[in-house]
Amino acid sequence: MVEAPRPYSLLAELTYRCPLKCPYCSNPLKLRLDRKELETAVWKRVLAEAADLGVVQVHFSGGEPLLRQDLAELVAAARGLDLYTHLITSALGAGDDQLARLRDAGLDALQISLQDSRASQNDWLAGAASFEEKRRMIAASRRLDFPVTLNVVLHRHNIERIDETIDLAVEWDVDRLELAHVQYTGWAFRNRAALLPTREQVARAAEVVALARERAGMRPEILHVLPDYFQEFPKACLNGWGRMFLTVAPDGAVLPCQSAREIAGLEFPFVEDASLSDIWFRAPVFQRFRGTGWMPEPCRSCERREIDFGGCRCQAYLLTGAAAATDPVCRLSPDHSLIERALVESAVQPAQIEFRMYQ
Amino acid sequence: MQPETEIIRPILAPGTRYRWDKVRRQHQLVFPEGVLVLNESGAAIVQAFNGRTIEEIIAVLSAQYEDKVQGADARAFLRRLADRRLICDSAAVHPA
Repeated sequence: MVEAPRPYSLLAELTYRCPLKCPYCSNPLKLRLDRKELETAVWKRVLAEAADLGVVQVHFSGGEPLLRQDLAELVAAARGLDLYTHLITSALGAGDDQLARLRDAGLDALQISLQDSRASQNDWLAGAASFEEKRRMIAASRRLDFPVTLNVVLHRHNIERIDETIDLAVEWDVDRLELAHVQYTGWAFRNRAALLPTREQVARAAEVVALARERAGMRPEILHVLPDYFQEFPKACLNGWGRMFLTVAPDGAVLPCQSAREIAGLEFPFVEDASLSDIWFRAPVFQRFRGTGWMPEPCRSCERREIDFGGCRCQAYLLTGAAAATDPVCRLSPDHSLIERALVESAVQPAQIEFRMYQ
Repeated sequence: MQPETEIIRPILAPGTRYRWDKVRRQHQLVFPEGVLVLNESGAAIVQAFNGRTIEEIIAVLSAQYEDKVQGADARAFLRRLADRRLICDSAAVHPA
């Protein structure tokens, strides 16, 4: 057997705690942990093991990673291991001094979320007054010469303001604007009927982005992550299971994907029980969907099997109950009608939004 | 599309970092969303930046590598890095 490739990226989810309540959060529905959050010393060992394993980038995320008092210490530890450090944050709760500490610790780049281009809409979706603080933190980051990516998750309630969102990114002078449609797992799956845009909204958004790229030129760079429900083929989720990415959850569970905890029947190892390298190469859960051997038809004989890797395992599980099924987004999937039906249902029956809550 | 700012003295764009990957034994440029693997000549060009102009970089490398670094190849390589926004002109970050 060929040895598995080594991972490039570690998503370090330092905590599931967060001041925001976004209804499309990628965290699991069950946010309360049975175990405690990992201590600083354990995270430092995890970072060292990640560097040995070949990880190049660490994305410090959450929940809200700024809630961890040891964030700057962990960033410094990662930089000491020559890892590239990226902070994914709501920007809430950070003072200018904390930003400066992160700068001194060697943080390479920041990604700050924005829920909507209008303050009132932003604060409603985030479940907290946050727009002004985000604006202030982005300005402070620019003063410290941090490269900033503004990340806006798109859905039915903000997609019509995509042009305003782009104008705001220009005004705030960010380096990169990521317009990423909701991925319907986790909280977003629960709220799917309330969040799915219409086909017309999606098409118009693509036109607006194309025009804005012309207008804005080189700055900011605009990334537009298309919604897979409207595509012909599934996304190459994680670029393949157990191939380039791994996640360590706040309680030390090691996951091939941050959403994988939703898949019933998978058993996840913990960083206390084995080294990251042992887990990556030997844990059954990392082998489960690695490569192409696990694939059913129509994936198994499909010429795209090493392009999209059968799509998203979590999505396949959530939609069909079988994690090994072809991602129903694929037009070749025998379950593709589930997608068509979801689009029709959400268009005729707008649903209530359920905000993220500890439960 | 606005004209791109011409790059005279290339530097790595903010948020882009060169590193030698000890595990894979390869040169890399790392940026927020990814990793670009560099070959030996690409790494030599990036390591020769040091505030030099593109012409100076090519001259330095030609002397060092006995003309193995072709000026046209180096310029094409730098253009690709600029298109991916991994490099910019030094004046774009620290205006004089």
